[in-house]
Amino acid sequence: MLTRRDFVAKLAAAGAAIGALSMAPNAVLPFEAPQRVRGEVVAFREVVSFHMDQPYIDRTGTAVPYRPPQGARSAALVAHLSEEEFRRMQCYA
Amino acid sequence: MVDFSNQPTMKGFFAPTRFEADVYDCEVTGKIPTELNGAFVRLGGDWLYPPKFADDSPFSMDGYISMFRFKNGIVDYKGRWVKTPRYKADLAAHKQLFGNYRNPFTDDPSVHGLDRSVQNTTPLAFAGKLFTLKEDSLPYEIDCNTLETIGPYNFHGKYKSLTFTAHPKVDPTTGEMVCYGYEASGLETNDVYLYTINKKGEVTREVRFKVPYISMVHDIGLTQKHVIIPVFGFVTSMERLKEGKVHWGWDSTKPAYVGVIPRDGEAKDIRWFKGPERATVHTLNARTEGNKVILEAPIFDSNPFPFFPPIDGSPWDPQKARAFIRRNTFDLNSKDDGFTEEKLFQMNVSDLGRVDDRYLSLPYRYAFTAYTDRDRPFNEARAGNLRGRVSNCYGRFDLATGTMSSYFAGDTHSLQEVCFVPRDKNAPEGDGYIMGLASNYAEMRSELIIADTQHLEEGDVARVILPFRATSQVHGRWMNEDQLPFA
Repeated sequence: MLTRRDFVAKLAAAGAAIGALSMAPNAVLPFEAPQRVRGEVVAFREVVSFHMDQPYIDRTGTAVPYRPPQGARSAALVAHLSEEEFRRMQCYA
Repeated sequence: MVDFSNQPTMKGFFAPTRFEADVYDCEVTGKIPTELNGAFVRLGGDWLYPPKFADDSPFSMDGYISMFRFKNGIVDYKGRWVKTPRYKADLAAHKQLFGNYRNPFTDDPSVHGLDRSVQNTTPLAFAGKLFTLKEDSLPYEIDCNTLETIGPYNFHGKYKSLTFTAHPKVDPTTGEMVCYGYEASGLETNDVYLYTINKKGEVTREVRFKVPYISMVHDIGLTQKHVIIPVFGFVTSMERLKEGKVHWGWDSTKPAYVGVIPRDGEAKDIRWFKGPERATVHTLNARTEGNKVILEAPIFDSNPFPFFPPIDGSPWDPQKARAFIRRNTFDLNSKDDGFTEEKLFQMNVSDLGRVDDRYLSLPYRYAFTAYTDRDRPFNEARAGNLRGRVSNCYGRFDLATGTMSSYFAGDTHSLQEVCFVPRDKNAPEGDGYIMGLASNYAEMRSELIIADTQHLEEGDVARVILPFRATSQVHGRWMNEDQLPFA
């Protein structure tokens, strides 16, 4: 019998596996892979991918999307501070 | 109103910068070698205005020339737009008037007949002048001190082709330049005009011939006796242009042709060899050994460019868009049109490779290019999910021994084309510095790398830090102080 605890554990493991797959080079992401619809017709989803050190629009449905760093600039270093902590830190502002 | 928000590839580090810049006495880590006096000149592109069509090629970006000027251990930076008629027309109209890559049928009627060139490929120092090169038009002369645009240049009216290659070859033994234009008589013509121009800038020779089919002839090989002309895969037609498409599409059924013509020969002397699907976009070096003509180049199995898609509607294949350093040998004694191919290194590399220019057209030993080392660290949290997908190393490839020494740029960096600078004029082949721009994705800035070729594994000897992202580069060249009238 599948308990609620087992179900949550399996769900977490599945999420981690998909996350790891998305970080692997040349991985095919399940949600961006070609999807078979109505027999032989294959639908491709365009993604911004990366080739020869430049982003490009990939239409093959097999490329790894390019995900730029989130918040690597400007406010990232102080984002975790509370409003009060931030104001104390910026004492001359 | 300028709006790049609906351009999916122009985000983050790759967003257009669009400003001209002067940075005096740049920030430097390490120590600039004092023997480096001259300039590292880069040419590439930036979008002044968004492209008219979403699927246009990045090769349509407006030309932007920049220069790291080295003088007594100090480095100044300067960046300027190449102010072509196209740039001026767009700026006056406050919008993009020009359509798809090398397709005038897609332009705004108001610019009909205007020079469409964007001058964004290769900088050249020759005959005491600085030029920008783009293979669809004549060279543009540039003031080497201000980087302001002077205008198109036709070598005193003696250069008749309407186009000029981005990859002329300068023979180090004579100083003369071998250059050419393809689609030389006009759009969709299969004419190539091949020229020799002496070191004073005077045209001394012209040969006109036709290629087997109209294609991108981006680079050539030069030996002491022959010129080698690769023709491969990319096709075009007037019908295609009238349909509004970019100039090139890829036809995988087209064989790769390679023409070999004696440097003192005529059109009737050209011999065409034929091989399977390949793309030789850039070459490393070439030589003639007896009756054999040898070309070495980073050659792709198939179409390297996703923005010039297959004409049969099939998706572009990134797995075939990998370049390997290969040797092609053409036997002038053979009775058929075949040639041999040998893969010199099993790893794939950037096709933007260079050699010690003092050995161009001569027997040589070393090649330099960037490559991806998947075993090196990459900080995905700070630089995005690009592990294994960026050129993070420069290699010095020893073609005599099959070995390589390597420079690693860092765990948030990718590297643009490498350039080799000899330690001094009499230094042995490959002894000196490699130089190239690194993109630091974490700090959102560009850094010029300088590394000693004798100690590549130890890292760089200096980095010139720019406080911003430099415009993207196609090619960069080192120019000595005796090549140009620097102030």
